[in-house]
Amino acid sequence: MFYRQSGVYHTRYATNRALWPIPADRWQVLALTALALAAPLLVSTLYLGSYLMPWMIWTAAALSLSLLMGLAGQLHFGFAAVMAMGAYTSVHMVRAGVPFELALLGAGLFAAVIGTVFGAAALRVKGLYLVMATLAMQYLVDWVIVNVPAISGGAQATLRTPQVRFLGLPIQDLTSRYYLALGWTLLVTVFFLNVKRTSFGRALIAIRDKDFAAAVIGVDPFRYKLLAFMTSSFLGGVTGAVLAFCYYRAVTPEQFSFNVSIQLVAMVLVGGLGSAVGGYLGAGFVLIVPIVLTNLIATLGASQWIDISQNMMAHLPLIFYGAMIIGFLLWEPLGLAKIYDNTRKYFLVWPFRHSRS
Amino acid sequence: MRHDHVTDETTAALHPNWKVNDHLIAILARNARDYPNGIAMRERDRGIWHELTWPDYLDVVLALAAGFEEEGIGHGDVVLVVGDNRPQLYFAMLALVCLRAVPSPAYPDAQPSEILAQMQRENICAAVAEDQEQVDKIENVRGQWDGLRAIYYDDPRGLTAAAPEGAQPIEALIKRGRTRLAGDPALRDDLLARPNVHDPAVLLHSSGTTGAPKGIPLKHGHVLAGVRYAAAAGYFRTGEQHMAYLPMAWVGDFAFSIAAALELRFTVNIPENQETALHDLREIAPTLYFASPRAWSGMLTRIQVGIAETTGLKRRLYDHFMSFAIRLEEAKMEGKSPSLLQKLWYRLGDLVIYGPIRDQLGLRKVERPYTAGEAIGEDVFLYFRALGLNLRQFYGQTENCALAVAQSAEDISLTTVGRPFPGIELKIDDTGEILIRGDNVFDGYFQNEKATAETLRDGWLCTGDAGEFADDGQLVVLGRLSEVVHKADGTRFIPTYLENRLKFSPNIRDVCIIGAGREFLSAIVCIDFSAVGQWAQERGVPYTSYAELSQRPEVQTLIAGEIAHLNNAVPESLFIRRMVNLHKEFDPDDGEVTRTRKLRRNVIDEHYKAIIDAVYAGERSLDYEARITYETGQTGTLTRHLEITDLPEREG
Repeated sequence: MFYRQSGVYHTRYATNRALWPIPADRWQVLALTALALAAPLLVSTLYLGSYLMPWMIWTAAALSLSLLMGLAGQLHFGFAAVMAMGAYTSVHMVRAGVPFELALLGAGLFAAVIGTVFGAAALRVKGLYLVMATLAMQYLVDWVIVNVPAISGGAQATLRTPQVRFLGLPIQDLTSRYYLALGWTLLVTVFFLNVKRTSFGRALIAIRDKDFAAAVIGVDPFRYKLLAFMTSSFLGGVTGAVLAFCYYRAVTPEQFSFNVSIQLVAMVLVGGLGSAVGGYLGAGFVLIVPIVLTNLIATLGASQWIDISQNMMAHLPLIFYGAMIIGFLLWEPLGLAKIYDNTRKYFLVWPFRHSRS
Repeated sequence: MRHDHVTDETTAALHPNWKVNDHLIAILARNARDYPNGIAMRERDRGIWHELTWPDYLDVVLALAAGFEEEGIGHGDVVLVVGDNRPQLYFAMLALVCLRAVPSPAYPDAQPSEILAQMQRENICAAVAEDQEQVDKIENVRGQWDGLRAIYYDDPRGLTAAAPEGAQPIEALIKRGRTRLAGDPALRDDLLARPNVHDPAVLLHSSGTTGAPKGIPLKHGHVLAGVRYAAAAGYFRTGEQHMAYLPMAWVGDFAFSIAAALELRFTVNIPENQETALHDLREIAPTLYFASPRAWSGMLTRIQVGIAETTGLKRRLYDHFMSFAIRLEEAKMEGKSPSLLQKLWYRLGDLVIYGPIRDQLGLRKVERPYTAGEAIGEDVFLYFRALGLNLRQFYGQTENCALAVAQSAEDISLTTVGRPFPGIELKIDDTGEILIRGDNVFDGYFQNEKATAETLRDGWLCTGDAGEFADDGQLVVLGRLSEVVHKADGTRFIPTYLENRLKFSPNIRDVCIIGAGREFLSAIVCIDFSAVGQWAQERGVPYTSYAELSQRPEVQTLIAGEIAHLNNAVPESLFIRRMVNLHKEFDPDDGEVTRTRKLRRNVIDEHYKAIIDAVYAGERSLDYEARITYETGQTGTLTRHLEITDLPEREG
């Protein structure tokens, strides 16, 4: 209805391959970016700090994982451990006096190195066996963090993140932390969108579809699987650091437990594998829907509309949430991104059913 | 071998008001000088539009002219140009014009025999062809015409290794021409100074509904006058985006894509090939769009088929808003202006339905959509106007550059074709024939004194169309004078008029009304395969082919209903009593219609004599021996069982 595709022509292949050749898509992206930038002025600190900011950071995490799971097709059930390594590395580096900018890089590099070492298992195993290998990583990293006091500061310790400045600006109040998180997420998004258009991205997709077929056409699976683990772990490590500094402002091992890994996988799956929009939608769904459901049922319970016990009240949201995830997997296995895509196409060919020429 | 030429002085005396150096090449040079960055042409190649500026355009035309000259082509030579719209063919036409040679375009789907006839008639000495297909076609008949010295082709695919003797790529000519121009600095100015406003700019052809096509030479002065009249009437604006997709042999393409494009600095957009024309049209979103009534009604059919298979909400919105807009447009035609609420509702509809459909068709930016050639269906005309396109009809012949009469933007009616452009004189003589005079009217047929004398009387062009003026002074075109025929009882009627009314139905692609010298009228109908096919699919009517679909009783009833609808609107003496659905469409390759899809009645009468006889003998069905010409040239026969349907008396 609002998509206008006539008059879009290209005199160079470069513009033909642009991210959003259709003006309506560009407007949507611009409007959403503007909204995100203006958010500190538009929403209260509660919503900014407890909803928007975590949504952005978890989106970055989901996109990092989606690069590995969606584009390269390598399952990873220990991504929280990757983020944990990033978070702890950055905290310790800043404590040792390293500038924050370098600490973020360091977090990414350390996570990338360790992530790649474990990713090497992917060269030999696939599918469920790779899941086991990455699970092992999750537990190993958890164990090391908890049991090495030099890292965790003791078994039940919480490390507070020190005061930092980013490019000369203090990262202290909520607004500055939000903008840092938003900046990182946008950077990851742009990277993710563009990776798909590079030879690297196409190589990953070739490997995802069939690794030995990719090898036949000259894509080296050894190299690209390791590169996929490395890139994804780098992004995950930096996201872990951003999560620690902007959102939690402290690090404990529980923040990066196995549950978190599962949640990340859920974000990627519910959102849609290998889709940038899916990263945003999946993270939003997994983070926000439980809260909305809880609030809704609490309101219903308080208003006497339904008569339920306290115990039931705590569990109902989880039941609905579980049902919704099952529903998505049943009706739209390709995730929220596919629903978005279908909706977009519905309007793209409006008022017809399919494109005509 | 050059054809006879009247001396330049006598030609010039015909139009004393024309300035000698006011010709297409001078205008191209002016554009190149004044608008060095203006985009003159865009060609789509492998998905990308390659742009050509005015100076590039001039350079390539001059280089090609230098190349042609080296090949021995010069003043008065007639050169065949055949192929789809390609930049190099346009360059070639202008390069020929620059050398005072005459380009003679042919339709890309012309048969080899038609090409041979054209070459023999016009003493053609060289050919410019698009690709291997056209080169092969010319090569086929070359043995029968030894005047042809050379073939130049655009697309070398399939020809590089196996080019026939004397064939070479246009590209090579351009290259040689560039070398010549570089070596001889005076040549450029020499070439620019050669053409003359009194030279023929193109040799076009009448459609040949009756007999062989006649050559129609149009001079620089004619086409430029036509374009300037039209521009003065607001019919073209400067700098339009124009899509060159109609055949180069048609007068409109020369007027739009060359004359108007040069004079008014259009950007001419050339689609990748004919099959992608609709898609490419959408990419470019032209500001000026011309399509034949048939193409508009084809577009309407496509929309209707698309809506028929779309989802519920979209269909309901479409049904509501489209019928609302059509009602509004009908009221406007009757002179009622819409209320504020209706205007607001139309705006909403524009957002929801009309705008998106215009966008889907690629007509979002079209400000000047036109149609001409034959009468347009009332439904089709209303539909596109309701859609927010200011669709207008115009009227003209090849003989007056097709630029003579057009509807103005404000004053639209269904029956009239509008007023003549300022500068053009128009009158209707005692026999009811439309006569036109103006600088855009040609000076006579190519080497055909007799036809010229019949058509040009005291500078007035006899169009052969019957017409009258409506009360508000607008022209009404009734039909061809020569087509008025009589039934056995002496009732006058114009078959085309009835046929056009019937063809407004999306289900009927072609129809031929028979009845001259007969007791009653009858119809031979060619169903529209896509529309009726869709209709049959929706109703579960099984069919395997066009022939079978056309003979299904359900389809017979459908078509009979369409004809009964017409019968309700005409006097009883013009009732169509019987009809046959033909097993195939009329095909220009069988000579039943011209390339512009006008019926050739004598051919149809002869081909389908058996059917017509059966209809008037009162039979209920017949087995028809169909002659089939395969693409290989072999012939065969096939027996088809055709049903003859009696139409009911007036309904209700």
